[in-house]
Amino acid sequence: MLSTQNHYDYMPWRRRPKITWPGGARVAFWVAPNIEHYELYPPPNPRRPPWPRPLPDVSGYSWRDYGNRVGFWRMADVMAKHGVRGSVSLNVAVCDHYPEIIERCCELEWELFSHGTYNTRYFYGMTEDQQRAVIRENRETILRASGQSLDGWLTPAISNDEATQHILAEEGIKYTLDLLHDDQPTPITVRSGKPLVSIPYSLEVNDVPLLVIRNTPPDRFAAICKAQFDQLYEEGAESGTVMCMPLHPFLIGQPHRIAALDEVLRHVTGHDKVWLATGREIAAHYTQHHLAAHQAWIAEGTP
Amino acid sequence: MSGLPADYLEYPLRKRGMDHEIYPYRALPTAKPVQWQGGARVALWITVHVGHFPMDMPLKPFIAPGGMERPYPSFWDYTQRDYGNRIGIYRMMKAMAARKLTATALLSAALAPLYPVLMDDIEAAGWEPACAGLDMGHLHHGQVPEAEEAATVKQAAALLRARFGDAVRGWHSPAHSESPRTLDLVAAEGFDWTSGWLNDDMPYGMATASGPLLAMPVPQDLADQRTLQQQNMATEDFCNAVLAAHAALDAEAAATGGGRILTLSVTPWLMGQPHRIRAFGAMLDAILEKGSVWNATGSAIAEAWRAQQR
Repeated sequence: MLSTQNHYDYMPWRRRPKITWPGGARVAFWVAPNIEHYELYPPPNPRRPPWPRPLPDVSGYSWRDYGNRVGFWRMADVMAKHGVRGSVSLNVAVCDHYPEIIERCCELEWELFSHGTYNTRYFYGMTEDQQRAVIRENRETILRASGQSLDGWLTPAISNDEATQHILAEEGIKYTLDLLHDDQPTPITVRSGKPLVSIPYSLEVNDVPLLVIRNTPPDRFAAICKAQFDQLYEEGAESGTVMCMPLHPFLIGQPHRIAALDEVLRHVTGHDKVWLATGREIAAHYTQHHLAAHQAWIAEGTP
Repeated sequence: MSGLPADYLEYPLRKRGMDHEIYPYRALPTAKPVQWQGGARVALWITVHVGHFPMDMPLKPFIAPGGMERPYPSFWDYTQRDYGNRIGIYRMMKAMAARKLTATALLSAALAPLYPVLMDDIEAAGWEPACAGLDMGHLHHGQVPEAEEAATVKQAAALLRARFGDAVRGWHSPAHSESPRTLDLVAAEGFDWTSGWLNDDMPYGMATASGPLLAMPVPQDLADQRTLQQQNMATEDFCNAVLAAHAALDAEAAATGGGRILTLSVTPWLMGQPHRIRAFGAMLDAILEKGSVWNATGSAIAEAWRAQQR
């Protein structure tokens, strides 16, 4: 078993080589809606039960089902109103179950990346070949459903196993969200030496931990997201930062919360030095313009 | 490493629509718009959880929200919940009567013989009686033997019908928990609508082995039991969230030309406390002041919805 992570080098939050974003933006702001399907009768996984109650967990299942029936549509309308595209953390089986959702995402020119097949199929305990098979199948499904290449990855329920990042790089994934170590993109070290990068996701300004675990009322949720943005905007004057706002339609798309999303997006888009980007765009810009400088700085001992 | 069984990577139910046969997928924007009485934009459905929490309730396989959290005998938990059926509900009745509002009582059926006077007063208040199972100690879930569950549904329906007759049309699965058979058993007992599933803001049809049921929306995410008791939120935060939901639903109804439903999921042992009842009244006032509200029982809303699907 590992006792420390083995995918990135220590990069102190001072004197880093400067990141510049397109248009002189200070913050690359991206929204990652998790569009998911949780199965009513998922198979067991040795390390994690899929539902807290005996199957069928009607409470858990139907709450998440709300996201696909109701919440997604409401959330997508608010994002479109502010001209904010989504980068969808997609359980790719949604392409088969609810093609109308994928159609709406494509119409809005959202990016689709993979969040596994179902959110009830964890990577815990899979062989490398099994993980590889899922990634390949997900790539084919996203291409078939949207014509897009699969560039980004968030392991379902963040259940990434020891080998997962290595396999992602070998399968041509360009950016990973499985690691939560930074407010900027960073290089990821993998056994093949392929250029995988991490871009910031978030479990802080993420509606699941905030609303379900930390019991945050809607107006506090908006205030926390705005505070996160304000600080990253300020620090971004020195070197470009990234703010990710992960969403889950079954939570943010509830009628009592949708105004909070509206307020956050109004706040963010009211600033002029913001790059409203997708995950793919952030990863590509960083890989092309800044990855080498970061790697060189690490090689020099982060002076 | 041997990895996971091969069928962990097989998905026999991966197809268009749901991974079950209970209802088809429906995106809310594609639902047929409905008109409420008087052209109201929002139907206000007040659901009051009138529960009985037996002191000897099972604590496995999970404790029902609001269940006995402390060692037996938890007079601590029991009497607080019982307070709701003695005091809190009367405060709520008064607050609603003062505003000429009606409600649907989601009743633990065991209360019918336990507190017959309360049943009389619920009827006198003009509230609709609906069945929320036998009591909070008889949850429906996948580990309950089939015969036992069938007997529980039958007993619960019989107890409430003995008191209220045919007025009992709705079933609410306690703790929003069900077994694979619950809906079949509920439909077989002749219920019209059910409110255990949390997946919509509007009614939709469910298929069971015993005929159709109408799914009615009762939110858990915006229930006082979840926010005030489980999540320890302030009363003001709960009330503000309800008003935010109303504002969003009202705006959506105006934009789409189809009525929406604002369901209040409230609990006498919580909302009927002296320190909360004024906030409850103020919240109702704020909803009514916005206008274009049709307050009705679950069965009345279900009937209005059904009549417009033909």
